[in-house]
Amino acid sequence: MGTDKVETSDADLVRRVLAGDTRAYAGLVARYRDRLGRYAMHMLGDREDAEEALQDAFVRGYRSLARCYDPERFGAWLYGILVNRCRTTGARAARRGRVFVRDEGALNGVPHPSAAERTEWEDAVHRALARLAPEYREAFLLKHVEDLEYETMARLTGAGVSALKMRVKRAREQLQVILREAERV
Amino acid sequence: MSEHDEDVIERVVDELRRPVQVDPAVDTRVMEEIARLPVRRGHGGGPAAGAAWRWLTRPRSISLSPLGGLGIAAVLAALVLALSGRRPGSPSTPPAERAMREFEFVVVEPHAARVSLVGDFNDWDAARTPMRRMQGGSVWTAVLPLRPGRYRYAFLVDGTRWLADPTAPAARDDEFGAPSSVVTVGSS
Repeated sequence: MGTDKVETSDADLVRRVLAGDTRAYAGLVARYRDRLGRYAMHMLGDREDAEEALQDAFVRGYRSLARCYDPERFGAWLYGILVNRCRTTGARAARRGRVFVRDEGALNGVPHPSAAERTEWEDAVHRALARLAPEYREAFLLKHVEDLEYETMARLTGAGVSALKMRVKRAREQLQVILREAERV
Repeated sequence: MSEHDEDVIERVVDELRRPVQVDPAVDTRVMEEIARLPVRRGHGGGPAAGAAWRWLTRPRSISLSPLGGLGIAAVLAALVLALSGRRPGSPSTPPAERAMREFEFVVVEPHAARVSLVGDFNDWDAARTPMRRMQGGSVWTAVLPLRPGRYRYAFLVDGTRWLADPTAPAARDDEFGAPSSVVTVGSS
């Protein structure tokens, strides 16, 4: 006979942290690490940058936890912080002049399967994503990969809904063109 | 858009939605960094008060409408005054401390029982910087030494109302969901 595991809610963990139980924050970090990490890695395309942005977002989230007005929606709130961190990190990387290069490890995580197992298609997708302008990549990932509503995206990004729709449309068009070219090669 | 094009996007999305595992060492690094931060002191009333504080300080609660009741009309003005002549330290003070400048934050709130200054400089902790009521009145002040930099801040009235400073620039890049203001401290 199995035992049902009752998971502590985000709101409970947030309340415990605010009451002084710092260790409770580890539960929130573990809960959101991979999901937010996926966005950071796709957005930044570099393991080191993605982990830096993720770590920074978690620490900023902790420092500002009292401003999480709806602890039940801690994940969505933290998402907003991460989107901002990725913008800052991405801009800094661009200033450094780093070419956007896909990092096998970053996209597979640790531990990761052999790079040899990756297919040409996977590689083509990540290269195509890397060629999008950051604002197009951001909008595409939030809409299609993270499955957010446009209103939520507008709150997270500060952009208007119509602008976001346009960015998603352009991102889709550009991905199609880039991937068609890749198929011909 | 052709069926083939739609199919391409679907396959792209399927690829990008595959779960990603981040190095769990990130957890350790986050918790280590948090452990180095000042101890959280809460909002002065334990978890229940904290929950009430968060509920009451949602963005909608700061609307300058009659709904807010007491004190709404009382927000007459707020000023941030750089007291350039009030620099702490002597010639023997370390350079980092000499670089600090004292700022006086001022808000007019005649009906408030207590007002706190919260911002990047105190981790938005309402317990750390209570404001002082000027004699006889409706003016609340707090003086804070700040190092050069850019800080976001707001006023918390009676632990329930969150006010941006109407006389200071709004923090447009605020990522936490509530209005706040910005003060920039120069290095000279």
